Amino acid sequence: MRIVALSVLAVSMVAAVLLRGRYVEAHLLRADPGSIPSDATLMSFATGHGRPLFDAHCASCHGPAGHGDRTKGIPDLTDDEWLYGTGQVIDIERVVDYGIRSHHPKAWNLAIMPAFGRPRPSETDAKIAPLTPPQIRDLIEFIFHEQGRNTEGIASARGASLYLGAGGCYDCHSTDLRGDSAIGVPNLIDKTTLFGDGSRQALYMSIANGRQGVCPAWVGQISPAGVRELALFVYSLSHSVGSKHDN
Amino acid sequence: MTISLLEVGSWRDFAKVNSKRSFFLGVCGAVIGLLLAGYALFTARGTSTLMVPAEDVALVNQQPISRSDYLMQLQSLYNVEFSHATREQRQKVLNDMIREELFVQRGKELDVASTDPDVRNALVNAVELEIASDAITSQPSEAALRSYYQAHPERYAGEGIMTVEDYVFPTNGAAVSEAIEALKIQAPTSDLIARFGGRSSGKVGDEEFYFAAKIHLGDRLFEAARGLPQGGVSARIEMPDGIHVLYMQKNVKPVLLDFAAARDKVLSDYRNERIRHLTTGDETFLRKRSNILIADDLR
Repeated sequence: MRIVALSVLAVSMVAAVLLRGRYVEAHLLRADPGSIPSDATLMSFATGHGRPLFDAHCASCHGPAGHGDRTKGIPDLTDDEWLYGTGQVIDIERVVDYGIRSHHPKAWNLAIMPAFGRPRPSETDAKIAPLTPPQIRDLIEFIFHEQGRNTEGIASARGASLYLGAGGCYDCHSTDLRGDSAIGVPNLIDKTTLFGDGSRQALYMSIANGRQGVCPAWVGQISPAGVRELALFVYSLSHSVGSKHDN
Repeated sequence: MTISLLEVGSWRDFAKVNSKRSFFLGVCGAVIGLLLAGYALFTARGTSTLMVPAEDVALVNQQPISRSDYLMQLQSLYNVEFSHATREQRQKVLNDMIREELFVQRGKELDVASTDPDVRNALVNAVELEIASDAITSQPSEAALRSYYQAHPERYAGEGIMTVEDYVFPTNGAAVSEAIEALKIQAPTSDLIARFGGRSSGKVGDEEFYFAAKIHLGDRLFEAARGLPQGGVSARIEMPDGIHVLYMQKNVKPVLLDFAAARDKVLSDYRNERIRHLTTGDETFLRKRSNILIADDLR
């Protein structure tokens, strides 16, 4: 009889744990994503479940701590820079679900840096014309000038007219060079660089050879609850205790 | 009292048959079975349910409307988070999404794909996407990317850069050989070239990428130019407009980008190729299993 009682107790406990998990997951899914970070219980549950998902699906590129790799253009998930959206849970969730340039129709597919040192800089826009090496160098001088770094004055002036004219850079990066996180275009005058160390050489590589980083779409591969848990875990990376976002 | 103790004793003693115990365990089994069956019935995919799953905001004829899509639409339409959206805004987005789902379902019933080219294109794209989902939702290993990069080095070389001068001499100009010898000794000036009866073609002279130089010079002159070192002078090249001589001021050959620098492009190419491969394979399969009859005149 004791064995039966113990078995029933064990089964009940397992069932209770599973049911609690299901209950919290359902609660997590129904909650407003923006308000979850202020709910310690949900956040703790989500990040606990999100960590293994991050290790399985994201760490191979972003690294186990999420610091990314600038040499490969893999973004740091622990800083306060968000290339796509504003870093809200819903923005992160969208990237986890549908990816970036993943070919999924709901992915962030719009922003592709043309390769201005190639005969056809853009696969999708035949109107974008290539630049010459001196023109690329002029553009770099202009960007450096706008960043407040030492530059060659005349080259920078030529670069400015290219940026706002034939080069068409303003079209994506905007006239003030601050980019547009609504379509995933980087700010060219902040301290963060996605590819390389921000040197002239690194900028030359980006302008001449183009950039097109990819993040896979995990929709269908990870459950909806898993996607939210993963998004909240990624959110927690840049809002950890002691970070500038820590409230 | 004695009897009840005996009954309790036999209830615990599994070596003896106890009808009450058997009945109790049987009832427990039936209740657990019913609970499991009920749970499975109302939660399994494809079954009709009266409950909206937590990940969805609505079910329209059992077709889910995803909560994540709903929140995204709410944000893109009103630029507000769910908690800050008004009841009207929430309702409007939900109604729009339900309307869309109803019309999609009706469209399927009416088979609009057979007549509407936009729907046909959308369906083709959607099926291609479905076929490619394995490639879209997976991350290749670094080893796979590296081996792809090593297998296609030509794709990951930067463009070469050259600054070349192209001089044209008259076809009957006897001084071309002397001009070539002079160019080997000193950098060209317009005076020097004019002394031998030559002139600049005006096609090149600025620093430019190989592809641009090829367009400006033409294939034959470009082939002669790309092999020249810095300060190198070509042999005489006879062309319809005269004898050409090239002087190379600067020639930076294409350099293979290292893996880290090219990784984003490698990943993109790798995925595109996998998607192409999957799509082609599936098309072959579809053709194989289909009965396609082609008119005599088009066979």
